[in-house]
Amino acid sequence: MLWLRRLFHGRVAEQRLDAELRFHLEQRIRDYVASGLSPDEARRQANLTFGGFEQVKQDCREAHFETQIEDLLRDFRYALRSLVKDHRFALVAVFALALGIGASTVMFSVLYNVVLHPFPYRDFQRAVVMNLLDLTVPSNDSGRYHFTIPEFLAIRDQNHVFEDIVGNYQLDVLYRGEKGTRRFLGGYVTTNGFEFLGVPPLLGRYLAPSDGKPGAPAVFMMNYQLWHSEFQGDPAILGKTFFLNGKPRTLVGIMPERFNGYGSSLWFPLDLSPGAEGTVFPVKDPDVIWMCARLKRGVSLETAAADVDAILHRRAGANPGELYPKQFKLNVRTLLDFVVGDFSGILYVLLAAVFMLLLIACGNVANLLLARATVREREIAVRAAMGASRRRLIRQLLVESLMLAGAACFAGCLLAYFGLKGLVAIIPRGQSADLFHGRIPEETVIHLNPAVLLFALAIAALTTVVCGLAPALHAVRGNLPLRMFGSGKGACSTFRHGKLRNGLVIAEVALSIVLLTGTGLLIRSFFALTHAELGFNPARMLYVWVSTGEHGSAHGTSINKTRFDEQVLERVKGLPGVVNATLALSTPPLGGWGSDIIIAGKTPPEHWETAFDLCSESYFQTLGVRLLRGRLLSKADIDSAQQVAVINQAFVRAYFGTENPLGQKIKFKVFDEIPETPHDAYFDVVGVVSDFKNRDLMEPAVPEAFLPHSISGFGDRSILATTTVEPKSLLASVQREIWAVDPSAAITRSGSIQDFVAEFAYTKPQFNVIATGAFAAIGLVLVLVGIFSVMAYTVALQTQQIGIRMALGAQQRDVLAMVLWQGLRLVSVGILIGVLASGGFAYLLASQIRGVSAIDPVTFFAVAAVSLATSVIACFFPARRATRCNPLLALRYE
Amino acid sequence: MGMEQEKAEVLKGTLDMLILKVVAIGPLHGYAISQRLQQISKDFFQVPEGSLYPALHRLEDRGWLQAKWQETETGRDAKFYSLTRAGRKQLSIEMQNWQRLSEAVALILKTAE
Repeated sequence: MLWLRRLFHGRVAEQRLDAELRFHLEQRIRDYVASGLSPDEARRQANLTFGGFEQVKQDCREAHFETQIEDLLRDFRYALRSLVKDHRFALVAVFALALGIGASTVMFSVLYNVVLHPFPYRDFQRAVVMNLLDLTVPSNDSGRYHFTIPEFLAIRDQNHVFEDIVGNYQLDVLYRGEKGTRRFLGGYVTTNGFEFLGVPPLLGRYLAPSDGKPGAPAVFMMNYQLWHSEFQGDPAILGKTFFLNGKPRTLVGIMPERFNGYGSSLWFPLDLSPGAEGTVFPVKDPDVIWMCARLKRGVSLETAAADVDAILHRRAGANPGELYPKQFKLNVRTLLDFVVGDFSGILYVLLAAVFMLLLIACGNVANLLLARATVREREIAVRAAMGASRRRLIRQLLVESLMLAGAACFAGCLLAYFGLKGLVAIIPRGQSADLFHGRIPEETVIHLNPAVLLFALAIAALTTVVCGLAPALHAVRGNLPLRMFGSGKGACSTFRHGKLRNGLVIAEVALSIVLLTGTGLLIRSFFALTHAELGFNPARMLYVWVSTGEHGSAHGTSINKTRFDEQVLERVKGLPGVVNATLALSTPPLGGWGSDIIIAGKTPPEHWETAFDLCSESYFQTLGVRLLRGRLLSKADIDSAQQVAVINQAFVRAYFGTENPLGQKIKFKVFDEIPETPHDAYFDVVGVVSDFKNRDLMEPAVPEAFLPHSISGFGDRSILATTTVEPKSLLASVQREIWAVDPSAAITRSGSIQDFVAEFAYTKPQFNVIATGAFAAIGLVLVLVGIFSVMAYTVALQTQQIGIRMALGAQQRDVLAMVLWQGLRLVSVGILIGVLASGGFAYLLASQIRGVSAIDPVTFFAVAAVSLATSVIACFFPARRATRCNPLLALRYE
Repeated sequence: MGMEQEKAEVLKGTLDMLILKVVAIGPLHGYAISQRLQQISKDFFQVPEGSLYPALHRLEDRGWLQAKWQETETGRDAKFYSLTRAGRKQLSIEMQNWQRLSEAVALILKTAE
């Protein structure tokens, strides 16, 4: 309690108290001396009667403290009483504030957990990833994230900027258990990888450097999710040996739930020291090492990029045989940026939106408090006349708004708790890193935490000050005693002109317009997205990705692979409910692989490239793509692996223009790098088909070529099938057919194309729409409350005036029009300002909006209309009440 | 109950009022207030410092007294207390209450005989 007492009793006060008591003591001594005592005796007597100098001081301090506490308690009691008396006002105020506090708490917790604290890793702020940008391709901004082992070793050994660096490589792991062959995502990780991230294992131990050495027993680690889904979280499996990709490995550790490092379910140790790679690494010469490094303290991204860039340029100069673009640049970005990417952008926009909401809510409550303060002017004046100091009066009003804010904060936290649950359910989650960029990391846990609660409290304090101080200052301003004689409802005070109140209404309307416009644009953009013309028919189409295991599996040669694929395809085609089926490399509308190309007889002015897919003859029919010229791929083409190509319109437009594309010869440079694929081969163009979306829903189709799948055994195939029944109902039978051909093959991913499109293209925009939509709706409700309360109050103030008008013969209609006009005048100013401000907000949103202009007149018009309609409703009820006013009563009321 | 304690009990309720009354004449410092109380009451009230100063500070906090540091006639700095408007109002309320109370008590004492 001592600190609390000190809080009320500063150092200066302490000195003063001392001086005051000392003066008293000395006066007494003087009097004693004057009455004839010796100075020493006088001092003794005085001290005796005084009875303990320190004790008196302590008593004074306590008296001081007690009155302070008493005052505070009295303020609280008084505030509670006045709020209970006016409980409708209190409920509206708490509701409005709770909406604002709840919404901003939700948004802040999302932002905090996603952007500020997404990973459980040690020093993740300094974790970076690297990619190599090809500068000869201006549009290409992702480059390659994969490096070769020699590159990795060079960077690891020669850099000056990293504390530590980890290499990893992902691969499918086929596990043959009781339920049949299952495919898990596994990864080789350099043995420093787990210490690097610094998350302790849940059970067992990490991979250690000794695990990677040649001759060390084969071990692996497992993630929590796989442990639970596949092994029911049984701790007894630790130390057991499993057959993975046909080889025995012992499980040495299980990671905790919140860990998804290196994006795998299983981790194998990897030793990349020279000489070791042949024994441990399963693939010959892979350029598949993905690197993650931790910057030394104080090293910037640019410095790191320059350092590594120099290493790679040296390598490129010394090893002309290695594949480097003519001009390249190494780019370093933070892991956080890589994973979360532009998703943090929309989060900041939403946070801005939510702060606007909070401001609206504060505005409303400040408005209500101001209105109350005006009505209570008389009461306040009386209290002032009774001797209450201005400070006391201000404190009194602040305590009142503190109570409101406190109640609202509590209600807001409840709202936030449930709101957060709802929001987390629709947030786009990252799955496989390459397919789903700009999502939140899987291991991010979004919940209310101390930081967020602290934030909520800060918000409550802020609202108290914003809502409480202005009315309090206003209420005690000016000549208080004079006001006592004015009536509480007259029309003489300056505040009754209500400039501040009107300003708040205008601001509220403007802010809600901004929010509504943002939502409107996002909805329109989402609509454009979901209604994009795909160029093929996605209805009732099934896709199944089939994995036949690691590169070294039984189907490695293209002949075996083709035979397997054809057999599976025939069986799938024969299933009841299947109309047509085809093999493909990719799943539309995400097109196939990319390659640089050479067209015979043409010298490219720049870099030419195309997407390509490996298909069976039924591909075009299955997708419903139209033949425009020449012919489609035939069964004979497939059977004999003919080097022919069918191309799309975009290809023709990009590289042939008005020339006849048929008979042209195209070389795909990427084939030269892939084993078991025709090297240095030119493909004859035999046909042209209509375009369909092959990069993204909102982008025009890019050039694409369709080749017989039998030319190469590389890559896993997917099966696309059109069906007469719900596509997913066929999955079990497709799985059965695949295992009938080869029990070691596994399905890696499957579903309907419509779900696939929804998942990769719609989730994020949908989240944007729902989140901003919810906020805009809250905003609109707050505006409704705001305008209603202000107009109701204005009407109450004007009761006398309206009474006189009606007594003088004004019709109800006239009164209605007058009140509506008063309200709508303010609203229209707000709308105008809001529309202008929305321009700026739309600019912020521009990256999230596609298929619709950021200054879309339809949206702006619709939003203004909605806002106007809401305002009319909000003004209507007070206006109607005004017309019901009985002139006689109104006049007598005064 | 000893005499001193008895006096203290009586004091507790009325000390505030007495202080307000004494200070109503004009600004006084703490020592002067205690001397004045003692003199006027013909030595009945010897207010201990441990009661006087907390009371003064309480009255100041309540806004009934205001304090100012000023020089005394002997040239020393001292804290002078004076009555505020609110204090004057409070004094009149308390005096009325006291009046009523003492009349009632006197009435009972008289008629109960």
